[in-house]
Amino acid sequence: MTQLVLFNVFNGLIVGAFYALMALGLSLILNLSGVINFAHGGFLAIGGYLAFTLIPYVGFWGGLVLAPLLTAVLGIFVEWLLIRRLYGRDPLYSLLLTFGLAYMIEASTRFIWGAQSLPFQVPGWLVTPLSSEYFFVTGYRLFMVLVVAIAVVGLFLILSRTRLGIRIRAGTLDLETVSLLGVNVRLLRNMNFGLGIYLAGLAGVLAVGQLGLQPTIGGSLIMPSFVAIIVGGLGSLPGTLLGGLLIGVVSGVTTVFFPSATEAIIYVMMAAVLLIRPHGLLGDEGRF
Amino acid sequence: MDKPKSLVHLNRRTMIKAAAFAGIAQVASPFIITARAADNVKIGLDNPLTGTYAALGKNELIGAQLALEHINAKGGILGRQAELLVEDSTSGDAGTAVQKARKLIDRDHVDFIVGNINSALAQAIANVAYEKNVFHVVPGGHTDSVTGSNCHWNVFRVCNTTQMEANAVAGSLITNAGKKWYYLTPDYAFGHTLQAGLERAAAKLGGIKLGADLTPLGTTDFSSYLIKAQAANPDVIIFLQAGDDAVNALKQAVQFGLDKKVHLAGAQQELEVLLGLPPEARIGTWVFEWYWKQPDVPHVNEFVAEVRKKSGGHVPTARTWFGYAALWTCALAAEQAKSLEALKMAKAMQGFKLPPDVSLMPGGAVYRASQNQLIPDLYVGTAQSTGSDPEDLFHVSEIVKGADVAGTLESTECKMTWPA
Repeated sequence: MTQLVLFNVFNGLIVGAFYALMALGLSLILNLSGVINFAHGGFLAIGGYLAFTLIPYVGFWGGLVLAPLLTAVLGIFVEWLLIRRLYGRDPLYSLLLTFGLAYMIEASTRFIWGAQSLPFQVPGWLVTPLSSEYFFVTGYRLFMVLVVAIAVVGLFLILSRTRLGIRIRAGTLDLETVSLLGVNVRLLRNMNFGLGIYLAGLAGVLAVGQLGLQPTIGGSLIMPSFVAIIVGGLGSLPGTLLGGLLIGVVSGVTTVFFPSATEAIIYVMMAAVLLIRPHGLLGDEGRF
Repeated sequence: MDKPKSLVHLNRRTMIKAAAFAGIAQVASPFIITARAADNVKIGLDNPLTGTYAALGKNELIGAQLALEHINAKGGILGRQAELLVEDSTSGDAGTAVQKARKLIDRDHVDFIVGNINSALAQAIANVAYEKNVFHVVPGGHTDSVTGSNCHWNVFRVCNTTQMEANAVAGSLITNAGKKWYYLTPDYAFGHTLQAGLERAAAKLGGIKLGADLTPLGTTDFSSYLIKAQAANPDVIIFLQAGDDAVNALKQAVQFGLDKKVHLAGAQQELEVLLGLPPEARIGTWVFEWYWKQPDVPHVNEFVAEVRKKSGGHVPTARTWFGYAALWTCALAAEQAKSLEALKMAKAMQGFKLPPDVSLMPGGAVYRASQNQLIPDLYVGTAQSTGSDPEDLFHVSEIVKGADVAGTLESTECKMTWPA
């Protein structure tokens, strides 16, 4: 029993790292622009489908690099065309817009690639388990955690060391002042949205390595990410990371004791956090 | 003081205009449809086109459309052309499915209603059809109650009950994989009845249940379940998931190398799932409800060729056949009864055997009297990574007669009452 719990804690961290990657992208967009991007799962699906289409030409690694970039370009275009018109309005407007956008993306992927699940394959040597006892630690899953770690470190470096990052962080705190200082806020938000969607695209390519590739894939993965943000605390990127890891572990350990509640438990956890610490574990008080 | 008054006045007038318009629309549209109804016999299809079951829904639609072409080419239904009205029921929202069923029946005045893939939605539509006295065919919702404890005189089902599937495959599972089973079961009606059915069937053959975990519908990561199942040290992990859940579960189990430690198998399997899996994960013993590769069965090759033309080169799946047989059931019921009256048609279909060019299976298929459940052949075999055709992913090792696995009428718990 102890071993089963330990296995599930370890396994939960791997799963949680993935939730965190999706949640970080969502969190970036939410913090700077106040947009609750319900279409994030749709962009994730697009990332997966683009990789599936590109891999025969550029190989797995080429697809892993190119697909998220192309998804980000699409995200930048969508922000320019639709989302920026709703800044400054009640968040409900952008919520409704992105909600509709999620349906449009799902229908479009179904139209282009078909409703049938596609057999996405990763290189054989990557999916071999590292040991017989720890069979759930495959090369691919470790690689996924590594990519998430690189993305997280990269994101924190961008946010703390680059001009763009410093502006994003400043904008998160006080957009008006940043704007008065001569920063092009429109461009800043545009690039920030692109960065968030890049993470969605990356999560998409990684996800379809171990899931079936179908138009609804984004919808089923997005809810844990929202919960990760709320548990971790709105406005805090480390909080989002912590939230993602935490729900991965809690949901994994629940399997040992009460398997049918693995999904429900993350919402119970969210409710508990909202009751005891409404601004989340690491969130700023008074935000939203 | 005046201003608000005039505003109220304006609002009221607008409201009255809107109400009048809505009223006219209500009166006008059935009139137009009634005029059209005189010409065509209408079949309403209330099935998923979006969501988790979209791929299955699309294949049932292709089958239904092909059947419609065949029916009309042979002179239609009672000498009138047949028409198919298609509505998206969604994959899981019973409210929408019921609303669409009511729309098809009340506004479009369909003579038949066909649907649904989701068992819960199928049952919900069946209740509406029963209340409205409309002939209803369920193409692909498997849970037992549809033609069991909740059966109705007007509701017919093409696909098997979960108990039939369980009875058909249990013996082969024990022979091929072993006696000690661990179940991973999707947490909704279909999964529950399938597991219960397998437990009953396996117990008779000496099967042992080591454990069972319910997985929420739409689970993406199965790793924690697989860790637990493997720890119980079974001969076989039984996967009862359907659709995308099945793809996710099997893909992950094979990536973990579990196929090298225990058998991975289950009961119901579908070509749509095997097509979505990478080749190395197409393994295990399963039961198919229909398979396209039956070179010795008359009419099957022609059917496959025609479906390929309609679906961009893809072969028909069991779902395509469900849609095809469901629409033909409507047409045959009318012809058999020489009427479009639901009661007469339902009586005419009691014990009715589908003609060979519709049943498309070696032993044929019969609607069992007093249950309205189609009793077809079932195809037990193993999944294969490659075959003679890119879509030949199942090796049939045994054809099981439906009559041998359907159980007695009493065991289905269907107590049908007919209107006076």
